[in-house]
Formats: sequence, structure tokens, C-alpha cells
Amino acid sequence: MYTANIADTVMFRNLGKYPNPRIQSLKRAVEEAGTEIWVPAAVYHELTDTGSADSPTNPYLDTAIEEGWLRVATPLSGDRTKEFGSSAGPVEKARFVTDEFLNQQSKYPETNNWQDAAVVALAVRLFETNARIRVITHTADENLAAACARIPPEFGYYDIKSRYYNPPQTAKAEFPTVDRLTWSE
Amino acid sequence: MVSSFVTLHNMSYDTEHVRNAVDTPGMITGIPTFTELLENPSLSSLYTSIRQSGTATGPELVEIATVSKKTVYDYLHKLERAGLISTVNHDAGTARYTAEEFELTLTIRETEVSITPELIEVIAQKNEYPAIERVLEDHGIVTFALAYDLVTAHSEGEVTIRQIGSLTDLSSGTAYDLVEALYSILDLGDDESSPTTYTPADFDDDESNLLEEFTDS
Repeated sequence: MYTANIADTVMFRNLGKYPNPRIQSLKRAVEEAGTEIWVPAAVYHELTDTGSADSPTNPYLDTAIEEGWLRVATPLSGDRTKEFGSSAGPVEKARFVTDEFLNQQSKYPETNNWQDAAVVALAVRLFETNARIRVITHTADENLAAACARIPPEFGYYDIKSRYYNPPQTAKAEFPTVDRLTWSE
Repeated sequence: MVSSFVTLHNMSYDTEHVRNAVDTPGMITGIPTFTELLENPSLSSLYTSIRQSGTATGPELVEIATVSKKTVYDYLHKLERAGLISTVNHDAGTARYTAEEFELTLTIRETEVSITPELIEVIAQKNEYPAIERVLEDHGIVTFALAYDLVTAHSEGEVTIRQIGSLTDLSSGTAYDLVEALYSILDLGDDESSPTTYTPADFDDDESNLLEEFTDS
């Protein structure tokens, strides 16, 4: 059984830009746990340094991608600005439902949670495209952490664990460890 | 005007510009000190030290201050003139100070912002946390105060970090840096350092089906 670890932007803000010892710890933990880190394309873009317009680089993720232990998902289906179509697939539906769930839980119900929702939608996509897979998500927002464990089961996927780092900066030491990246019953 | 207040004991006022409870209004001079609290971390740090200690003497404050003894006493005088601290008693000739709570409310173009000791406590540490200074300098006090409230709401699970960014118009990186700074200064979040793990079983009692609700709407 393959375990995929989906990490939100906040995890990489905590680890810092390459090179640094925390990223090295994550690399070792990923290898030892026999897993991979997955990020939605939206997370990759958030962490991209657009300062040098000619050749934007990602100082948080590019090295890990080149080394082969971190994967950026291809962009997810769905367009927030368009109506939710009846033909929408599970990945798109999961993203819309998560966006709505986060607004329902918030005092500010008009925000755009499309990037947060990508974490949940990516989990559903990995379940849709892989038969023998378990997913662990890593976030530092309570409502998003709840959405990660609550919404995939509505699509029939129960092999998911959602790790919620609180305070967010505890991810610096806690995220790059074998224990956090490993599924244990 | 002020002296007439002093002679009127236990009077409350509710005029266009002055509202107070039963105590006689105190004298407030040195108004620039209030705004200096926003600019000068040494001054705001001194005020915050007294507030957090309950009471403190000059020598005690000199010991923990990062500025000279003379500056500490200048600042104490300044804070006292503004009514931000007051003397509670004298220990063998040494004045003992206590901090007064305050709320400075500015209303401009229908936006109201309140500057309180809680905000000053954070601003006092802007030299240690560059994100605080960056937000104050580049976005101003209203955005800073809003972000402060949203970060405390985040610690209650009410908003996500991305919602903080979009509501304040701060970049993703700056919003995160401020979240980290405020969590550290205000000691927000769980005492436990290991993450909480949610599983689908944690939500078995939630009878509502989010997918059905959303599809129906």
C-alpha cells in the first residue's frame, strides 16, 4: 500500500528556502518512510519567486522536485468563476464543496478558498487514480484540517488522515519526521 | 478646565467629547506619547513590562531594559504625564508604578481602529520580528490591527491563513510571517507540540452530507 503525503504551503514556509537542514531532514524522512510529498499546483505557484520575471524559480520546492521526492500535481479540474456543472467529476466537486465548507465555518463567508480547497481535491484525485493508496494531509488551519478528513469520505474514500499543526510553527520540527509521514493504525 | 474636574468628586460625565464612569477624570497631557508607542519599541516595551508585571520600580525596569538608565527615567516621566502609568506607592523613597489600560480610537473615512495595550505589546517586539515592522510600514496600522484580530481568530479555528491574506490584502509570505510572529509573542495555540490527527471517524456524528447540501443549493 502506497502512502502519499500532501503538504500545504505553510509546511514549506516553516521549513524555509533551500538549502537548509530542515529540508534535508524532510528528504531523509521521506526516503525512510518510503513515501513522497505531493503538492497541488496552486501551492507550487504560491511559493514561486516571481521577482525575476524572466525565469521564475521556486526556492522552496525546485530542488526536491529535481531530486525526485516531491511531486507537483498537474492543475486540478474546475473553475471557481463558473457554475458548478452537473457533469462535474469528484475532484471538481470536492473542490467546490471544500470552498463552501470553509466559508460556512468562517466569520467571513465571502472569501475565495480555492487554493485551500486544492489540498482536499488533490486527495480525492489521488484516490480516484490509484487503487491501493492512503493519504496523509499536513496543514495548519483547523477548518481545512477538518475538511481533509471529512470530505473525501463523502466520495467513498476513508483511508485518509489529516495532521493539523497548531501552533503553525510546530511544523518546523514535527513535519520532517518519519512518524508524521507514516501511516500507523 | 482640568482643575474643575479635580474638585468634583465621583462625578460621571456623558458629554459630546467626554464619557466616564464614577471616577473623576484623570489629567491627560503629553498626547504624542500615545502615538510614540507605535513608533518606539523601547517605549512600548517599557509600558508593556510594567503592565505585565502588575507593578514595577524604576530600578527593576532599568535592570531589564535595553536602553540607558537615563532613558528609562525619561520614558517613565513621559508615560506618567500621558496617564499611561501611575505611581501606586513609594518603597523607601522609590516610586512603584502600575500601568493604566487605555484604548485610543481613531475614526477616519468611516473606518474605526482601536489601539490598545494588546497591540502595543506586539509592536514592542517589532525589532525582533521584521514582519511586524514590514506590515506597519507598508500597510499601516489599520491593516496591522485587522491582521492581529484575524490571527487570534485563526488560533480559535475561525479563519485559515489564506483567508487572513485575502482579507488584509497581505501577500501569502507576509501573512504567514505575521502569523508565526503573533503566535510566538502571544503564545497562541496548543501547548502540545505534536500535531492533532483527524480521521474520518472523528466526523461520524456529523449527520449532514456536505456534498448533498452543496449540490442541492
